[in-house]
Amino acid sequence: MDEMTRSVRTAAVRVDGLSRRYGATRALDEVDLTLERGITGLLGPNGAGKTTLLSILATVSEPDAGRVLVFGLDPREAAERVEIRRRLGYLPQELGYHRHFTVAGFLDYVAILKEITGRRRRAEEVARVLAAIGLERRARTRIRALSGGMRQRLGIAQALLGQPDLLILDEPTAGLDPEQRLRFRELLSDLPGDPVIVLSTHQADDIAAICPQVVVLLQGRLHFAGTPSDLAATAAGRVWAADQRETRAHLSWRGGDSRWRHIGDHPPAGAELVTPTVEDGYLLLSHASGAR
Amino acid sequence: MTNSSPGAAGPVAGADGHPGEDLLASYAAGTAGTVTVWSVEAHLTGCARCRSALSAHVDAERLAHNRSVLLVRAAIGDGSRVRRVLRRCGLPDHVLGLLAATPSLRRSWLLSVMGVLAVVAGEAAAVRYGWITAGSPGIIHGYPGQNLAPFLLVGPLLVLAGVAAAFLPMFDPACRLAAAAPFSGFALLLARSVSALTAALVPVAAAAFLLPGPGWLPVALLLPSLALSAFALAAATVLPPRAAAVTAGALWAVPVLLLAATHVPLVIVQWHAQSACAAVLIASAVVLFLRRDRFELGWMR
Repeated sequence: MDEMTRSVRTAAVRVDGLSRRYGATRALDEVDLTLERGITGLLGPNGAGKTTLLSILATVSEPDAGRVLVFGLDPREAAERVEIRRRLGYLPQELGYHRHFTVAGFLDYVAILKEITGRRRRAEEVARVLAAIGLERRARTRIRALSGGMRQRLGIAQALLGQPDLLILDEPTAGLDPEQRLRFRELLSDLPGDPVIVLSTHQADDIAAICPQVVVLLQGRLHFAGTPSDLAATAAGRVWAADQRETRAHLSWRGGDSRWRHIGDHPPAGAELVTPTVEDGYLLLSHASGAR
Repeated sequence: MTNSSPGAAGPVAGADGHPGEDLLASYAAGTAGTVTVWSVEAHLTGCARCRSALSAHVDAERLAHNRSVLLVRAAIGDGSRVRRVLRRCGLPDHVLGLLAATPSLRRSWLLSVMGVLAVVAGEAAAVRYGWITAGSPGIIHGYPGQNLAPFLLVGPLLVLAGVAAAFLPMFDPACRLAAAAPFSGFALLLARSVSALTAALVPVAAAAFLLPGPGWLPVALLLPSLALSAFALAAATVLPPRAAAVTAGALWAVPVLLLAATHVPLVIVQWHAQSACAAVLIASAVVLFLRRDRFELGWMR
């Protein structure tokens, strides 16, 4: 068995030729992708198709064309779709809440939807995820009284109910303060059972910090799949630091040390090459594709 | 030792009348038998020394876990009085938990329904007893059921609105979670719709009973309300949910208004119309059953 065949058979999630349109807009255009166990970060600007891809993986939306296999299960088959949902934790990008629910009541409701029917078992699960996300003291608080950051943590908590094997998180760190983001990274790193985790984010530093795999979607197409260091390496030799601005650079900005950082092929006089970051690689890719 | 009552431990007492360390350890670990647990607890209530000795056997982690679970159970609570009664009647607790997210079962919704019914019923009573006149001067007055036309229009529509609110995604802010969950979408739809239908039918039937009009009116509204609700659910397997609800509403409103305009509003609940409603109900139920998989796909498409 060659390496490619082995990787296809062992891939936790496999996506082949996935396409989806909304009217005249092509949200996904023949995306091929394999995801392994561990954390995969999904990068892309607004409108790149990240949310569409994640909602298809979460069995909430159907593709127009192409095929998805999750743990070898095909979501087009009713019984297999239910089996995928049994192993799924999903945080949609814009999760709505029943605002009259308490925090514990909402999690109890989601636990029922996840087929955790015993009262004692539900309470144990709710207590577990509340402790994991640091909201134990808010169990009785009505959702309408929570801050935006707390609601986001509640959204993450509901996705963790039932210890899912596939965790799909659409912009989970939006609205979290720096300390909460660090706690979130810690939480994902400590999850038992080595689940498949797919998270979309605009924070390249989140990707660099916790994701062994990164995928870049631009205008509905897959432009990169690999490790964060590989993504950073795509910008090698094209990131510069200088005392002056270079107008021909793709992007340039003044850093905290008052020096200009340039991304592009036209270094200003006296510029020094610097080690590129994941963000540099992503910005160059999106510029090259015309997405920005 | 103070406040001890050695004899209280009964069969579990050791030579000094207190439970031994092994017994306290098995009690703390939850491995003691039921009768032993009762005896130890009877002793512990009166013996401070043994309560203190027990604390040495308690696993702090397990205690903290139990405490957090108990706090969560207290935070979730037992639900409303109605939920407790239904649970005693044998309905599964988890099904009742799902209904908590049904807007048309909330008190504010039901109060609104009763408010609308009070206005329409009040108007019907006022016309019937001649306190106000219906319509414009010059139109024919005194035909049968002239005071009931608004109520005949609104009653089944209120039931339909309750059912629609139970299944329209726009009324369920967490509908994406339900769509991605393994719990059957069709079962969820039925549980919510049937409960919303029942909750709305009660005040509508009560208002029909109180209205000055034919005594059979409360029963006569039952079939149209069921048929409209079933039609909306069946149509939602073909049309977008909101369009399905609006179509069902129009299916009722248009004939009622036409019949009211021709001064025969009661025809809408009489024999021929009842037969038509029965046919719609059966056909809708068949379509709903055959196309039930549509509710398992996720409601976004």
